[in-house]
Amino acid sequence: MSATQKPRAAPEAPPTAPRERAPTGTPLYVHLPFCAAKCHYCDFFSVPDKGQDRAANLNAIQREAELYAPRNPRTVFIGGGTPSLLSIAELTEFLDNLERITSFRSSAVEVTAECNPESLDRDKARALLDLGVTRLSIGFQSLHDEVLQLFGRVHSVEQSFAAFESARSAGVTDLNIDLIYAIPGQTPEAWEQDLGRVLALGAEHLSAYNLTFEEETVFHRWLSQGRLAKSPEEVELAHFEVTRRLTQAAGLEAYEISNFARTNRHCRHNVNYWHNGTYLGIGPSAVSKVGATRGGNLKAILPYNRRIEASGDARTWEETPSATERLFETWWLGLRLAEGISASEARERADFSASEDPALAITAGLVADGLIEETDARFRLTARGLPLADYVARRFLAAAP
Amino acid sequence: MDTKHIRNFCIIAHIDHGKSTLADRMLEVTGSVDKRDMRAQLLDSMDLERERGITIKASAVTVYHVYKGTKYELNLIDTPGHVDFNYEVQKALQACEGALLLVDASQGVEAQTVANAYLAVEADLTVLPVINKVDLPHAQPEVVCEEIENSIGIDSSDASRVSAKSGLGVPELLDRIVEKIPAPTGLPDAPLRCLIFDAVYNEYRGIIVYMRVVDGTIKEREQIHMLGTDKVYEAVELGRFTPEMKRAGVLGPGDVGYFISNIKQLGDVRIGDTMTLYKGPKVKMLPGYRPPMHMVYADFFPTNSGDFESLREGLATLSLSDSSFSFEAVTSEALGFGFRCGFLGLLHMEIVQERLEREHDLDMIQTAPTVTYKIKLKDGTLSEIHSPGQLPNPDQYEEILEPYARVSIMVPAEFIGNVMQIAADHRGTYVRQEHLSPTRVQLLYDIPLAELIYDFFDKLKSSTRGYGTLNYDISEFKPSELVKLRILVNGNEIDALTSIVHKEQAEFRGRSAIKKMRKEIARHLFEIAIQAAVGARIIARETISALRKDVTAKCYGGDITRKRKLLEKQKAGKRRMRQIGNVDIPQKAFLAVLGGDDED
Repeated sequence: MSATQKPRAAPEAPPTAPRERAPTGTPLYVHLPFCAAKCHYCDFFSVPDKGQDRAANLNAIQREAELYAPRNPRTVFIGGGTPSLLSIAELTEFLDNLERITSFRSSAVEVTAECNPESLDRDKARALLDLGVTRLSIGFQSLHDEVLQLFGRVHSVEQSFAAFESARSAGVTDLNIDLIYAIPGQTPEAWEQDLGRVLALGAEHLSAYNLTFEEETVFHRWLSQGRLAKSPEEVELAHFEVTRRLTQAAGLEAYEISNFARTNRHCRHNVNYWHNGTYLGIGPSAVSKVGATRGGNLKAILPYNRRIEASGDARTWEETPSATERLFETWWLGLRLAEGISASEARERADFSASEDPALAITAGLVADGLIEETDARFRLTARGLPLADYVARRFLAAAP
Repeated sequence: MDTKHIRNFCIIAHIDHGKSTLADRMLEVTGSVDKRDMRAQLLDSMDLERERGITIKASAVTVYHVYKGTKYELNLIDTPGHVDFNYEVQKALQACEGALLLVDASQGVEAQTVANAYLAVEADLTVLPVINKVDLPHAQPEVVCEEIENSIGIDSSDASRVSAKSGLGVPELLDRIVEKIPAPTGLPDAPLRCLIFDAVYNEYRGIIVYMRVVDGTIKEREQIHMLGTDKVYEAVELGRFTPEMKRAGVLGPGDVGYFISNIKQLGDVRIGDTMTLYKGPKVKMLPGYRPPMHMVYADFFPTNSGDFESLREGLATLSLSDSSFSFEAVTSEALGFGFRCGFLGLLHMEIVQERLEREHDLDMIQTAPTVTYKIKLKDGTLSEIHSPGQLPNPDQYEEILEPYARVSIMVPAEFIGNVMQIAADHRGTYVRQEHLSPTRVQLLYDIPLAELIYDFFDKLKSSTRGYGTLNYDISEFKPSELVKLRILVNGNEIDALTSIVHKEQAEFRGRSAIKKMRKEIARHLFEIAIQAAVGARIIARETISALRKDVTAKCYGGDITRKRKLLEKQKAGKRRMRQIGNVDIPQKAFLAVLGGDDED
């Protein structure tokens, strides 16, 4: 049995199965697709803001929330796109409506909004806090203006630091900074310096990503044209190790491959993904997992608006992995976390009930290869296995029926 | 039908000269198939044939043509055109009295045309030259006729001129077949003798035997004795191919048709065997075919070792409809249990492999092909080896002999220099050259067969812009300075990759093989050393560094499905792999000792 992924019906046709609001408490993801400009490495669905009808899109997202969003979500993550691009008035209307629909302000233990330096000042940070947001994630990406230009970003390094200070002075106590490393030409030494400067800011959370040349991005095209070169593996590994060493020295726990946090400041919303939990996503391109079924929305603004208006359903695909597939997925997602995963936890998260656990043979092989280790019935990636997490995932996938 | 109203003929031609198209047109012109039912190359029943655009299996069809008010039965046997399939051509020729020699009016006579025409002349058939594609702008029928006369020595002054594509000249050609090709000579009441010239296996009907009645008459419900295999089967159904199978009940002398008896034992039917009436008068066996000459050998191993029996069954079924390859069980340290198969040539090998995978759903690893060598032992005895692994240490034999081929290459004159160069690169010895026409030349070389199968075909094609064609005959075995080239992966010798090469070429070939392997083998958790060795001496080494980093930076809710699919795609290539030591080696790496694509 393999996961069945089927294209959804045409706009006018009714959805294949009537969908209801997600169960109370389900984590909520909101995708706001507009950005000031499209970054050259970014493969998320986002659209440069050129005076389109943002209100129509916000209304459609709100309509989708009315139809499917859970009441009392445990966590909320407002991503995109660049949510901070919206004006305070737009944010107020949208989040007030979301509150009316879900009561997230009292239920959610964590409400994150993604921000970019060019659109985050003290007033906006203050307004976001007032509207129920508890945590801001700021995209620094690089500490060099020429790299920011190469990335196609529209802010300066100075603006990044200013945005961070604005958030702090507005009273934001939970801040994340996004950085990218292993940029063509970057040395581990240069990265160490930059990372040191960022860590000195004392953010509660850091996401540091190895640059990835995703398909259908400008960077991917430049790579294939030879205009950019991927850093050699040993250079990438050196960056990876610098990151882990410096964050540890700064008192941040490396709780996931690319994520580092002070005690109790992990991003709970994201941890749920690695637990293979359920979540409800609204907005163009947003993905949901309800029960064992995952599905995703259209990746285009106007068609999304029209579909929501016509049928209330903007899904373009759905899949329901088999029990074994769910189990293996749970394993490789769970192993990304420093807390690791136990066999019984994996079975429980995957709702896997067969008496024989097919994962055990695979974990035994991975232990023998020194890629994972077992302590108190929990399995974790070893120092060697950590940068080989995808290889480990393939070992599970290769065993899937 | 009276034998004087029957004509049995085949079409022989070089590949791509329009043989199957002409067969299609004859079916259409005689009204055997509706125009709208016409699929291109109707006679080629296998998907593979249609995809590759070549005929690999002789097929028979009966059509009716009215000539001067009388209805004639024309039995057409379609034959393959590639150099590898001479054996199939021979079988088809045995069942005929005449042959159409089809030559493309702009390509002219090519190596295969000559080879097949000689076969037809040898079999004492009436050969009618037919010039095809005469309606194309570059057609030069006069030049082509001159080439036929110069190269084959057949009078072509009144050669038929047709366009198989448009049907131009085809009705006239049918008349000519009736006029020129002799009628069969068998008598209806003579003791029965039928020639089996082909067979296919059908899941529901058992083996369908393709046969030609030579003497006498065969009827349904008669007990039929296969003389060669000494088996008796009842004639359950007899009929003709029109082209679909049409029951006839009775077949008389000269008839070409099928015989069905729900035969499930694949070994009971042998191509070339004679069928006669059981307990009827004693008859002499029809002259058997020249046994196929297996010049190329390769080993097939099931990717999944549990599939060994399925592979055996697949080979047995296939050998029924293609009696020209052989197989025997072998064991390899690296690849386990498999079969050593003998083929007529390289294309033949590829087709057998593809048919096994397609028709029998088998997943296989195939080793690089090798030729048959002979070694002269110290006591003077000769022994044959069909696999490089069988070659003993040099101190155990006097000398080693390898097969040479007399290669005939036809090319436009401008490419002579290129051909001479690649012949020299492949240890070729010049014999002579002949001008077929002012612009076309035939070059003769003696070249070791091992060099031919290494990459000579590919190199000839690429260095003559596709115009060069060749045919070869095995001429003799000659002593040669050959050594055993071994390949090691992390110190484990891969017996399936061992090859026999000329001493002078060992280093180059070894280096080229391990470079190719390096590209095919994925990185592992540990470093992999690939080495080439002659005797105990390592002559080349490549290293695949250990995989140290393979991780996705971002993996959030929207990424999981896509990520999983990407990872699944990367593991999909796993199927055709074999683990040796603890290294996963894909099928392609086992072909690394094949030639082609040298990059440096």
